[in-house]
Amino acid sequence: MRTGPVWMIARREIKTRMLTKANIISMAVMLAVIVIGAFVGNYFLDRDAAAPERSVALEQSVSALQPHLELAAEQQKIELRVSTMTADDATAALVSAGDDAIDAFLSGDPASPKMLVAEQPDADVLALVGAAVRSYVITDQISALGGDPGAFEEMMAAAAPTVEALQPASQSGYEGPAYGISMVMISLLLGALISSGSIIAMGVVEEKTSRVVEILLATIKPTQLLAGKVLGIGAYGLFQIVVLAGALAGALAALGLTADIEVNIGASLALLIVWFLLGYALFALLFGGFAALVSRQEEIGSVTTPLMFLLFVPYYTTLFVVPGDPDSTVVRVLSQIPFFAPFMMPARDAFGAVAGWELALSMGIALLTIPLLVWVAARVYQRGVLHTGGRMKLAEALKG
Amino acid sequence: MSVLQIDALNKSYGTLRALRDLSFDVRSGEIFGFVGSNGAGKTTAMRIILGVLAADSGQVRWNGTELDLEVRRTVGYMPEERGLYPRMKVGEQLRFLAGLHGMNPVEARASVERWTDRLGVGARRGDHVQKLSLGNQQRVQLAAALVHNPAVLVLDEPFSGLDPVAVDVMSAVLRERTDDGVPVIFSSHQLDLVERLCDRVGIISSGQMVAVGTIDELCVTDRPRWALDVQAPPTAVSTWLGTVPGVTASPMPGRPGAFLVVGEPDGPPGVGQQLLRGALDLGAVREFSPIRPSLMDLFRDVVSADDAATAAAAGKVTR
Repeated sequence: MRTGPVWMIARREIKTRMLTKANIISMAVMLAVIVIGAFVGNYFLDRDAAAPERSVALEQSVSALQPHLELAAEQQKIELRVSTMTADDATAALVSAGDDAIDAFLSGDPASPKMLVAEQPDADVLALVGAAVRSYVITDQISALGGDPGAFEEMMAAAAPTVEALQPASQSGYEGPAYGISMVMISLLLGALISSGSIIAMGVVEEKTSRVVEILLATIKPTQLLAGKVLGIGAYGLFQIVVLAGALAGALAALGLTADIEVNIGASLALLIVWFLLGYALFALLFGGFAALVSRQEEIGSVTTPLMFLLFVPYYTTLFVVPGDPDSTVVRVLSQIPFFAPFMMPARDAFGAVAGWELALSMGIALLTIPLLVWVAARVYQRGVLHTGGRMKLAEALKG
Repeated sequence: MSVLQIDALNKSYGTLRALRDLSFDVRSGEIFGFVGSNGAGKTTAMRIILGVLAADSGQVRWNGTELDLEVRRTVGYMPEERGLYPRMKVGEQLRFLAGLHGMNPVEARASVERWTDRLGVGARRGDHVQKLSLGNQQRVQLAAALVHNPAVLVLDEPFSGLDPVAVDVMSAVLRERTDDGVPVIFSSHQLDLVERLCDRVGIISSGQMVAVGTIDELCVTDRPRWALDVQAPPTAVSTWLGTVPGVTASPMPGRPGAFLVVGEPDGPPGVGQQLLRGALDLGAVREFSPIRPSLMDLFRDVVSADDAATAAAAGKVTR
């Protein structure tokens, strides 16, 4: 097979898809949506995560509580500011809305202090103060009994059971970064496969409808035409997924969100691209071959619907089955089937539930399926592409 | 000398036999006109020549060797159903097609400019094909067939949809190409054009070649015909014509006073001279001219004979 024509067809596809005004606009819109979405999401996440700082003021009489308050705040992971002031200042500070506002003012006896608040006591502050007062009383009593409060605290801190499990629990469930990342990835994959599959189907039918295929086939072989088309549109689809997924990863990294996520985004992205290429090869060939069976754009649906099922069934199976139990037998078996693998493997990988040999095996099976599909698609395409009029039956095209 | 040989092609679509042992040659430097009624098999034959369709049996040879994909790339083809990418610019599209035919980008660019200018669509190179009028799309289609300097031209109905100026340009282009030694096959229903332009003509009917030859060869007839107009009362002329041996006469339709005289096959030699002498005796002769049957007449004969045969065959089946 001469490679020249294949490359020329591929280049034409890339050029006519990529450089259209509609495409440039839609890519820009999608990029904007991703970047804005990341920033907006980050804003809301931030508000959730960063708890406001609490502030407690002490009268001179209860200043002995200060170390205990600070220790309790540290243990409960609450930001606390402790200051000392007079009762008069505190009354003003309690109702103030500025930076000098305080949540509570303690006075009286450190063992049973009076806590003055503006309206309702803050639950966190109340808990902190309670813990601090108890700690103060215990320390006081131990000292009075002649013990060492420091040693007591150390012993108390160590007085906890050590948990040891026979089997490490696998990470699973419908929340957490692994779930989020795997869902975003397989959705991106589904979108990219559907859009490139439809573009191929429409391109094949466009050539049939406009009859340009007759001129092309007087010069090149049908297989060269199909190969060029699949390569060109594949390159375009890859470009799309790299740009969009890259923008997403970039936006997350720029916002510093990746630090909290325990999944390696770079590796996930690389795996996603590998699976896009394999999935694309599996589906694109079928889209191209089957589209040749019809002659008009309106009829495309009748041949692409079964292929859409072939995309959606694995997608939804992955969506609903994998997070619950990414390591079950059903999932392990399904994820070796070529049409399921592109969705299941990246998702299982995000949950850390896939062995290296499983990944290698599923890729091998997918790679072996591709030549078979090339043969089927080329055969159907070759027979269908010059057939005009009604829809050609698949059996007819295969039988020849 | 280069010859394109079409040898005993057969093709069936289900029960319909589209081509039956179709054979003909086209020599280099020759314009070959391919005529036949609708559904006679012209398009099927051309598609097989281009390899777009596979024949059931038979061969297409170029200089004695079978026409393979490499050679087909040097053929310029204009399909009956016009086809170009509607949403691609004219110049870009032609350069793409030239590239597929093996031209390098520099050659392709120059050639696209030359042919679009020549065919009068040079100003539209930057427009999408779908924005052009049908006639201009047709010119672009011609440019697509010519852009790679083809060694053979196969054109299915190249003249349909062209205005008279474009027809003249196209005719001149075809003549130029044949002068360079390129064989040209084209099909057309515009028989006057075929008669004027073609060196040889093939008439196809029901997938078979029923007549092949130069116009002169095909139009030779054993029944000579004349148009005769004498300045004399028509009744007198009619009476006199009835006495001339070996001819039959009838009034010419639409021309009062003129007669169509048809000689009998194997009639006596010199009938024409005898007629003229007799007519001069009758009065001043306004017109006396031999009528050569046109391709149209020939075509009608072939097609009507074919229809009769088909009807007869159909009759046999139904009874």
